[in-house]
Amino acid sequence: MLSYSSLLEMFRQNSVGIPLITRKVILYHTANKIAYIPPLTSLFAKIPLLNLIVALIFWKPFFAVVFAPGLVCILIAILFIIWFERKVTARVQWRYGPLEVSRSVGGIIQPMADGMRYFFQEVIVHREAHRPYFLQFPLITFLPVLLPILVIPAGAIYAINTPYSIPAAIALISLIPMIIVAIGWASNSKYAYVGSLREAIMYFSYEVVLIISAMAMVIVYGSASALTIVREQSVLPGIVLNPFAALAFFVAIAMATSRFPFEIPEADQEVVFGPFIEYTGIIFGVVMTLAYEKLYLLCMLFSILFLGGWNGPFIPPLGDLSPAFWLFIKTIALMMIFVFFRTFYARYRLDQALKIGWSTLMALAIVALGVGIGLGAVNVVGWL
Amino acid sequence: MSDMKEYSLPVPVKPPAEIESLELPVPPGLEEKALKEDELVLFVGPQHGGSGHMRLIVRVHGDVIKEVIPDPGFVHRGMEKLAENRLYIQNIPLLERPAIMDCINFSLGYVRAIEKALDVEVPERARYIRTMMAEICRIGTHLYDAGILAVFLGHTTGFMWPFALRELTCEALMRVTGARITASYIVPGGVRRDVDRGTLNYINEAMTYIQHKLKDFERVFITNPVTIARMKDVAVLSKKEAIKYGLVGPFLRASGVEYDVRAVEPYDAYDELTWDVIVADDGDSYSRFLVRANEIQQSIGIIRQCVKALKEMPEGNIISADIAGKKKAAKAKAKAKAGKEGEKEGEKEGGEGEEKKEEKKGLDSIKGAFFRTFGRLTLPKGEYTTLTEASRGTVLYTIVSDGQSNAPYRLRMVTPGWFYLKGFMESLKGCRLADLQAVYGSFGYFPPEADR
Repeated sequence: MLSYSSLLEMFRQNSVGIPLITRKVILYHTANKIAYIPPLTSLFAKIPLLNLIVALIFWKPFFAVVFAPGLVCILIAILFIIWFERKVTARVQWRYGPLEVSRSVGGIIQPMADGMRYFFQEVIVHREAHRPYFLQFPLITFLPVLLPILVIPAGAIYAINTPYSIPAAIALISLIPMIIVAIGWASNSKYAYVGSLREAIMYFSYEVVLIISAMAMVIVYGSASALTIVREQSVLPGIVLNPFAALAFFVAIAMATSRFPFEIPEADQEVVFGPFIEYTGIIFGVVMTLAYEKLYLLCMLFSILFLGGWNGPFIPPLGDLSPAFWLFIKTIALMMIFVFFRTFYARYRLDQALKIGWSTLMALAIVALGVGIGLGAVNVVGWL
Repeated sequence: MSDMKEYSLPVPVKPPAEIESLELPVPPGLEEKALKEDELVLFVGPQHGGSGHMRLIVRVHGDVIKEVIPDPGFVHRGMEKLAENRLYIQNIPLLERPAIMDCINFSLGYVRAIEKALDVEVPERARYIRTMMAEICRIGTHLYDAGILAVFLGHTTGFMWPFALRELTCEALMRVTGARITASYIVPGGVRRDVDRGTLNYINEAMTYIQHKLKDFERVFITNPVTIARMKDVAVLSKKEAIKYGLVGPFLRASGVEYDVRAVEPYDAYDELTWDVIVADDGDSYSRFLVRANEIQQSIGIIRQCVKALKEMPEGNIISADIAGKKKAAKAKAKAKAGKEGEKEGEKEGGEGEEKKEEKKGLDSIKGAFFRTFGRLTLPKGEYTTLTEASRGTVLYTIVSDGQSNAPYRLRMVTPGWFYLKGFMESLKGCRLADLQAVYGSFGYFPPEADR
């Protein structure tokens, strides 16, 4: 049985160190007097219960899932990337894009305004829906989104340090299509049915490629632990070692997150948002962001496997948050590339996407696997 | 696998209530039969994002379309019946409503039928202005259709760019006629207003700009590998089928039939200009789109020639003298001969003072004398039919006149959309469900035009 103090001690021993908020801020400094503002975290250090809450917030597993790289970072990424997608598309198409909400900063809070609008819209549950599941599944979607965060580390911030973090993360991410198919079933509508079938077939076409190209990199580095993989990339990022794997993984991400040209399950001109057709109000807001959440997770994996993860110049005031910051920057940059595809691609047909997944892309993935085995056999990483 | 046995499950099948309550044109028992054969009946439209104002009843087996039953008529306004209760001149704004982007071509057909009945010769300047405006409308409509096709394929940039370029054609229409769409510009005997030099210069510049920007559009959308993959060899109609199902216009030409009303029975100034009839051989969605994309280039060429010719002509002289003095039929016929030499002479010859005033106004411009000239318009008894090449194909007008009334006894109007609806439905058989919208866009089907 854990006592209050031992629990507090456990949290404090494994906490995130951010000098910016744990250091004393010196106001002025004379010969015999030092005046300083006490650090923010020590404000509540003596108050019972509040100190436990503060310690819990900075406890690494909790911090990883809820703040960085978890829920809060996902939220910021989504709000930014939806705005960016609309803005960059508008720029290419001779339009302004979101502007009226917060004119001075180019309408950057437009996604937040949309989210608030969703909150106040009526949630309609149609007669044919399987009511309990119809309402439950959008909330359950947070599970497969947040579970991979447990095993994807961001520098020193991690929840579970496992030598199998890459396979575990991919396995947990691949739960998302199950939820989408279940959503389509619970909607009990023809278009949702067609949409969830499309989702299932898309899943079938990209998943093997995604796993093979990730495994190719695991073989190169001789380890499936994200911490090891990133450490080995301090000299040469993975994209230089095995560009085939990077390309295959990149296209597989576009397929997995229904980015253009593979925006097939949700094609609004054909199946009118597919599995999510019956959703309204805030639950629509939740299911709509699902693809972006998945994009965030897979882009994070891409930057860990190929772009050196959280490697970057250390920023002293951020402390433990510095690697997480670099990982976030790389992830956002990748997401920006993916959403930019919307401006110059049309949509492939379902059978064409399936064909691409199992011919060109599969060949690329197998080449990548061969290259990975070759590099792993001669131990390039050790030699470097 | 040969010993596989089929088991039938006695699952009760209840067809959706809307089949009966909405009186859908579905054969009885379709839904039950489809479900028993492992098929699905989908209603696409009329509120569907990719259906336009019509319902498509699609029977799919897996992902492959077996049959499509159209349910048009959601925007049927009874044009033909409405036309029977209006003066001949009042029908011009009415009959261009079906295809508002294509207003000039649509009123051109009707007005030419009237001119045919009255045996009116249109002055040269008016003929060139008509041709130029018709081609501007054709560019606008083709750009509109290209944009709709692009957004049906999910290509939003391909949607926005043509729509932005279409603004230029709307602006040209506005400067010439005063309206961006539904111009009501063509009147019997000529056109409603003259075009000045500044507007002609603007049209020339706009064409240069459109041609320049179309190169970007070609790179982004027309030659995009995804676009080609989506439309190549999809919904193929062979030459034979295209003729059998009665396709018209660019869609007939895309199947390899070299037929264009502008070339076969030239009207206005088409036979005095040099241009090509664009023909493709494949008959698939992509060639249907390419034919129209290339027609834009041809139209730009025609407009350039028209502008050049119009700049060399003296201004004025845009309404036929016949129409201005048509009150007395005998006199009108006499003027028809004189009218060829020049309107001014024709006017001098037309005797009495009261008449003369009317004519004087009527020649350079119809302004102020509009209803005096056209209000009492009656056609000689008979049936008058014209074919016109509108942007989406042949449009047919037949006016039946009883010779006494100032409204048509009967007006028949068959629009290109209605002509090629059958071919559109037939071409969908065997396509994937995702191709439904791509084929729809490749035909540029426009329900208000087909429904009239």
